[in-house]
Amino acid sequence: MKRTAHIGAVTIAAALGLAACGSSTTKPAAGGSTTTQKPSGSSDNGSATCGKPSGSGAYKVAFVYVGTVNDGGWTTAHDKGRQFAQTNLGDKVKTTYKATVKEGPEAAAAIESLIADGNRMIFATSFGFQDSMETEAKKHPEVCFEQATGFKTSANFAEYFGAAEDTDYLTGMAAGAASKNGKLGFVAPFPIPEVIREINSFALGAQTTHPGATVQVAWTKSWFDPTKERQAAEGLVAAGVDALGQGQDSPATGEVAKAKKLPWAGYDTDQSANFPDNWLTATVYNWGPYYQSRIAAAMAGTWKSGSYYGGPKDDFVGLAPFGKLVDQKTKDAIASKLAGFKDGSFYHLTGPLKDQSGAEKVAAGKALELKDILSMDWFVEGVKGSPKG
Amino acid sequence: MRSIAFERRTNTPKWLRIAVPMFGIAIALVLGAMLLAWTGHATTGTYRQILHRGFTDPGTFATTLVAATPLLFTGLTAAIAYRMGVFNIGGEGQLFIGAMFASFVGLGLGSAPTVVVVASMILAGAVGGSLWASIAAVLRDRFRCNEIITTLMLNYLAGILIQYLIFSSHSYWRELTGTGALFPQGRMLSERAQWPNPHIGGTPVPFGFIVGISFAVLIFVLLRSTRFGYRVRVIADAPAAAKYAGINARRTTFAVLALSGAMAGIGGASDVGDFRHTLDPKGLQQAGYGYTGIVVAALGRLNPIAVVFVAILMGGLNTAGLALQGPDFPAGLVGTLQGLLLFCTLGGEGLARYRIVIRRRAGSASRSAAPRSSSPRSAASPTEAPGLATGEVGG
Repeated sequence: MKRTAHIGAVTIAAALGLAACGSSTTKPAAGGSTTTQKPSGSSDNGSATCGKPSGSGAYKVAFVYVGTVNDGGWTTAHDKGRQFAQTNLGDKVKTTYKATVKEGPEAAAAIESLIADGNRMIFATSFGFQDSMETEAKKHPEVCFEQATGFKTSANFAEYFGAAEDTDYLTGMAAGAASKNGKLGFVAPFPIPEVIREINSFALGAQTTHPGATVQVAWTKSWFDPTKERQAAEGLVAAGVDALGQGQDSPATGEVAKAKKLPWAGYDTDQSANFPDNWLTATVYNWGPYYQSRIAAAMAGTWKSGSYYGGPKDDFVGLAPFGKLVDQKTKDAIASKLAGFKDGSFYHLTGPLKDQSGAEKVAAGKALELKDILSMDWFVEGVKGSPKG
Repeated sequence: MRSIAFERRTNTPKWLRIAVPMFGIAIALVLGAMLLAWTGHATTGTYRQILHRGFTDPGTFATTLVAATPLLFTGLTAAIAYRMGVFNIGGEGQLFIGAMFASFVGLGLGSAPTVVVVASMILAGAVGGSLWASIAAVLRDRFRCNEIITTLMLNYLAGILIQYLIFSSHSYWRELTGTGALFPQGRMLSERAQWPNPHIGGTPVPFGFIVGISFAVLIFVLLRSTRFGYRVRVIADAPAAAKYAGINARRTTFAVLALSGAMAGIGGASDVGDFRHTLDPKGLQQAGYGYTGIVVAALGRLNPIAVVFVAILMGGLNTAGLALQGPDFPAGLVGTLQGLLLFCTLGGEGLARYRIVIRRRAGSASRSAAPRSSSPRSAASPTEAPGLATGEVGG
């Protein structure tokens, strides 16, 4: 399991008026990257009263992961981010982590243990850690807390996430072009807005390079469960799909694709080296620079709480290198859309959009508002499966 | 032709019962030290840290109790059933259903006085766990379905059910407003419905842990000093004698499974009331309390009082494991150390009860049917491991 969910919620929370995040964002910037707040922090609900260095030793920072650091996906990517920050900040900082921490009381225990060890800053990378993080943040105002994918914030508790739906549109383009029969499969974790908008984006992207393409969804109800992921992928292949995408933490889907010699678009981590023959590309999060800047801010006493929702524009989300199955024409098409995301001239969740029944859901020319995106509970036309799981 | 066989000891000396687990722990520590040295970690430093961060540090002992609480309940679940040779593997599912029932009541009684809510949640959890276990009891009674299979299958079913309540339906349990619109989640209990956290000797103790200890004592007395307990023991140890004596094995089996399920169900109530304050299918399924409870019961030799201490031990190992692991100390190494300890202690347990004999095969088969349970139960350990109590041994 993992992580989760959700979203940038931050932004979301602000957009829905659910939380006093103090953000004024109301919709994603065109270009899809809804950067509500820069990591440096423009939020007004936090000032750096937490995370002040104590003592003279290295500044201690800890990460709480839901998976193993070698899951080849979500947690691997976060741990690479941790190492990036550690390398760039050098000896002044000492980072550590706790892996395979279970959501619930055990997460609270891990955080307590880390604080007892002298850590001044805690990053947690699963949605399911949210309640524990909130409670611990209240108990330890001297420590800075940051959580990926959640939506609760307080003076010493910030949130961060990225607009994977933007780059999933691009991976969908690659998968659509690589499919021969136009039937794509997507191995998906939970029927939640985050995942639903990723699937929709994947389908919309596929339909641009392969008109009429469909995306069949198989739910695993788990963030990280290689066995279930593999079974789901096999089920999709048996149902006739000839290209696979995923929103899971592990590359198990890619292994099925490899065995069946089918193109595969991954998620979270660049797996091109392990899947040279069937790799397309993947949405990858660029956690490292964010971690580095946040840790540096906490050390300098300028850390502020807030909700950060990065996108292609600030390179928070991007694409892994292309595999050999992606032809030049597709690469060029993807490059131009990516440029559009970056300069704000293109946003894919713009009408006309039809739902699964073929009824028009979003009128032509109307871009979806952030709150609609963050609470998306319907599939676009061409997606097969139920958005209820 | 010679063969090696495990032969049941007709009489396990008392000193052996104490020496064996001690020896098992010593072996585990030595093997663990070799493993630590081989992977380049400080041996005594690591052990000292396990002791400190799991048990002796006052701050972390509170955490240990939190980890121990669900294991205490699921340990009791397994201990009661196995004592009678009923293999309830379903602590997991019974805990889920207990959590489901208790959260239903806790949400509904949100504004009632805390004492009313807590008592109702405990009762609801017990009823939920009992009912779920009774399904297996009925199937066993009416259709002779093996309860190992049915309780295991019911675990999956219970997992799917609570998952459905939160993720796939607009159920009473699910939060639909606020952040619930962003991610499927359970409704939170009101402040008043959250269980108290009394401080004992400066350490906050989960209320559920106190409830669990109370039940451990009750069950100990029930099994030892009541007619019901006597029936359970006779059915387990001498089914034929029970039949002659006119003991109703069917009814007793039902009662035992219901009681066993009730313990898991209260564990589920405690999970909601003490810790999560909501029905959290994802977190519960990750936790695996039900399965760990089987280990707890076996290590405690099915003695309810021993289960309390083993639960604390396991909770402490878990807490210490979290403190140990990091970039230089992989989670897998922590798990291996914990596994060594459990394996050596449980393995030693077998040797305490069986002896290894080497003998000629011809004509010796009949000798293996050793008399059952002829060892008098000592006060210190009035129970025996189920597999050993009922299994046939042979060469």
